[in-house]
Amino acid sequence: MATTTLEPTTGVQRRSWVIDWLTTVDHKKIGILYIVNSFLFFFAAGILALLIRTELAVPGMQFLDQDTFNQAFTMHGTIMLFLFIIPALSGFGNYIVPLMLGAPDMAFPRINALSFWLLPLGGLLIFSGYLFGGAAAEGWTAYSPLTSDRFAPGVGTDLWIIGLTLVGTASILGAVNFITTIFKMRAPGMTLMRMPIFVWTVLVTAVLILLATPVLAAGLIALFIDRNYGGSFFDPAVGGNPVLWQHIFWFFGHPEVYIVILPAMGVVSEVLPVFSRKPLFGYKAFVYATIAIGLLSFSVWAHHMFTTGAVFLPFFSFMTALIAIPTGIKMFNWLGTLWRGKLMLTTPMLFALGFISMFLIGGISGVMLASPPIDFHVQDTYFVVAHLHYVFFGGSVFGVFAATYYWFPKMFGRKLNEPLGKIHFWIHFIGFNLAFFPMHQLGLSGMPRRISDYDPNAGWTILNMVSTVGAFMIAVSIIPFLINVVATFINGEPAGDDPWEGNTLEWATTSPPPAYNFDRLPPIHSERPLFFLTHGHGHAAERPDDLEESEEDDVERRGGMV
Amino acid sequence: MQVTAPGTRLRLIGRVAIPLLVTGLLAGCMLPPEPATDAGQEVFNLYLLVLALAAIVFIGVEGFIIYAVIRYRRQPDDDVLPEQLHGNNTVEIIWTAIPTVIVFILFTFSMIALGAVEARSDEPGATIEVEGFQWQWTFRYEEGVERTGSAAEPPVLAVPVGEPVRLVLSSVDVNHSFYVPQFLIKRDLIDFGEGGPPNELEFTVTEAGTYSGQCAEFCGTSHADMTFTVEAMPRADYDQYLADILAGEEPGGDTGDCGTTIQVAAVPSIQFDTDAIEAPAGEDFCIEFTNNDSVPHDIGVIETDFNGEDVPAGESFTYVIPAMEAGDYTFYCTLHPTMTGSLTVGS
Repeated sequence: MATTTLEPTTGVQRRSWVIDWLTTVDHKKIGILYIVNSFLFFFAAGILALLIRTELAVPGMQFLDQDTFNQAFTMHGTIMLFLFIIPALSGFGNYIVPLMLGAPDMAFPRINALSFWLLPLGGLLIFSGYLFGGAAAEGWTAYSPLTSDRFAPGVGTDLWIIGLTLVGTASILGAVNFITTIFKMRAPGMTLMRMPIFVWTVLVTAVLILLATPVLAAGLIALFIDRNYGGSFFDPAVGGNPVLWQHIFWFFGHPEVYIVILPAMGVVSEVLPVFSRKPLFGYKAFVYATIAIGLLSFSVWAHHMFTTGAVFLPFFSFMTALIAIPTGIKMFNWLGTLWRGKLMLTTPMLFALGFISMFLIGGISGVMLASPPIDFHVQDTYFVVAHLHYVFFGGSVFGVFAATYYWFPKMFGRKLNEPLGKIHFWIHFIGFNLAFFPMHQLGLSGMPRRISDYDPNAGWTILNMVSTVGAFMIAVSIIPFLINVVATFINGEPAGDDPWEGNTLEWATTSPPPAYNFDRLPPIHSERPLFFLTHGHGHAAERPDDLEESEEDDVERRGGMV
Repeated sequence: MQVTAPGTRLRLIGRVAIPLLVTGLLAGCMLPPEPATDAGQEVFNLYLLVLALAAIVFIGVEGFIIYAVIRYRRQPDDDVLPEQLHGNNTVEIIWTAIPTVIVFILFTFSMIALGAVEARSDEPGATIEVEGFQWQWTFRYEEGVERTGSAAEPPVLAVPVGEPVRLVLSSVDVNHSFYVPQFLIKRDLIDFGEGGPPNELEFTVTEAGTYSGQCAEFCGTSHADMTFTVEAMPRADYDQYLADILAGEEPGGDTGDCGTTIQVAAVPSIQFDTDAIEAPAGEDFCIEFTNNDSVPHDIGVIETDFNGEDVPAGESFTYVIPAMEAGDYTFYCTLHPTMTGSLTVGS
């Protein structure tokens, strides 16, 4: 396809670039703001992780006191989840989803800007506890009654609640925007079952956010009332119920896990086919599996509470184990995509392969945790810490980096340097496994999570040291990444419209795309319109049923989009 | 460069990597501790089954990924598209069935083990109340013995071997969790308020010995200090142990552990009645603190973590101060930092 070069619409008054970025309602710029903001919080929370790992490298309190340590892991968890992984994937969603749908922008551009700007505000409020006598220190799960004003009198916890409520509100606004965009803004021919898998995962994620996050917001407000206005939702001393908090938190918190992982699965499902030069194996099965995971995610929350003695174990154990089925289907579909492909091991492909091989480990340990007797042993130990990092870091963060390397050329018109990218990947991959694999064994041998110190005779010293070395390797791996980004801006290889021979519509416009996204759209007959454009109807591969849906095709032939 | 045929490389990987992995697993990696209770043995056996299933899935999937990366790697000059395979319903059904079967095996065996772990005896050999507080434990025995630990001296939980032991788990403040790794079990200590009775945990220790345990539910500042030891002993020793404590320490109550007790009072307005006290080095000692002032006071030691609880006006309280090294220290009221006195430990 010919390269499209177009001048931006004339007649618009020129503004300084600062004002431009501060006031933008362009989904692409907002997407970039999301991503940059997320990476800044990633670095901050990563420094906290290094503090935690340094303190734990050897027994004895080294340089943090207990309260500082507790603040560090609380902030680390909160910031990584709520201000790095979720917004980073939302950022890619913001940038890519309208392009993938052939839409000119999100449905509500101004709400889009609002939901971004609430994030840095909320994040800074959460962090600002450090300025007022100490940040929140009750863990990112904030279990009651530890968070009551009796046991956590500091204002840091209140700032954490307010900040998180703002971040949650931003999420809810974003979810409404995504759902509306995906249902109402698709280009002619882009039926639901032709949407790229990434869009499907963003859609299911948005529905989960819309149903789950208001529950968290309600819980946070109740907690705030408890702490400041004499409420008694969660305080047993005055008739409240501390387990209620756990129910509310995990009713949000488990769908949250899928909010974090599903878009990353979507990224991987875009990257693997492109670099295997094959379609995704079992597109429909993948869509149904995504929906099934979304539905099941609301029936499993109490598997975080097996040791409370307050939940019906068989039900939650069974529902949790059931999630392994759609997840297994996805895993097999990814393997089927690789099978007999022609694999190009570019950096995004390496991170995608890293995702499936590491997420597998997190998935396996997750199924182990679904068994109540095993959970009785490893609940609240480092085994759980290993599990959640294999899901969130081995899964989602590898997905974030796959997305970064994959879509960077589209966003900035230049390709990130491949050798530097591969150096980044390998240090990252090895460091990740050094940091988190030993934690399985630490947990099995009984090391509880969230302890600032441990007995030198417990036999945990060597593995903790290995883990700390791994954590620093991860930090080191970020250096080639940052050099790569800077060097690419200065002197990167021009990417052209479609550097990867992509399948989806974002590659049908310029890199970066014009403000209005598309001059014209290629016909859309399948979930791979660009492949279709390059290789044509004649290719035996395109599914015949796509050509039968003539009604949409007619609409599409008539429709001169944009 | 000589390109090795993919098949050869694969066989090499098969010959080297898989036995290495299996040996690693057999060598004791990824295993919980040797169980010391009958319920722990059930969990251990279940874990082995689950680990075997996990190992099969792990080796199968990771093996395939490595195989695919080697076997299907695109050659630089290869511009021919591979076959555009969109899917296959038969294999979709097969690989929906595989995890389904695994899930049902796991669930069935989990429920069988759960039944054994949760089994309750009609007449436990001992019923002990375990009370968690920030940041230590109190153990109360039916015989009237009560033991409370401190960070410097974690408490011992004595249990008889070979008999079911029932723990009644309650908390006076935040959530805690009773966890002994070698028992392969934990249970939370939650103040359910009006929501229900406290949790219970029951196990039969199979081997006499000392087992370390600690709080597993994050409970605030000194969560990491909330350790304890379980000493499992034959019935006769257990009875003797409790009898010894009853004989030796009644009715000392709180001050039973104190070698030396120092009297300190707060007097109007906002000062101590003494500006210098002395205590022995290397052993716990007590300060019997009487608040004769009109506002609350407490005692902390600036150089250590010790920070006693507040004592309202007109009341008194005995603090147990953990053993300190010889030296000069300063005690003070943490509510009124100007209210200080010197503490000389040792000669």
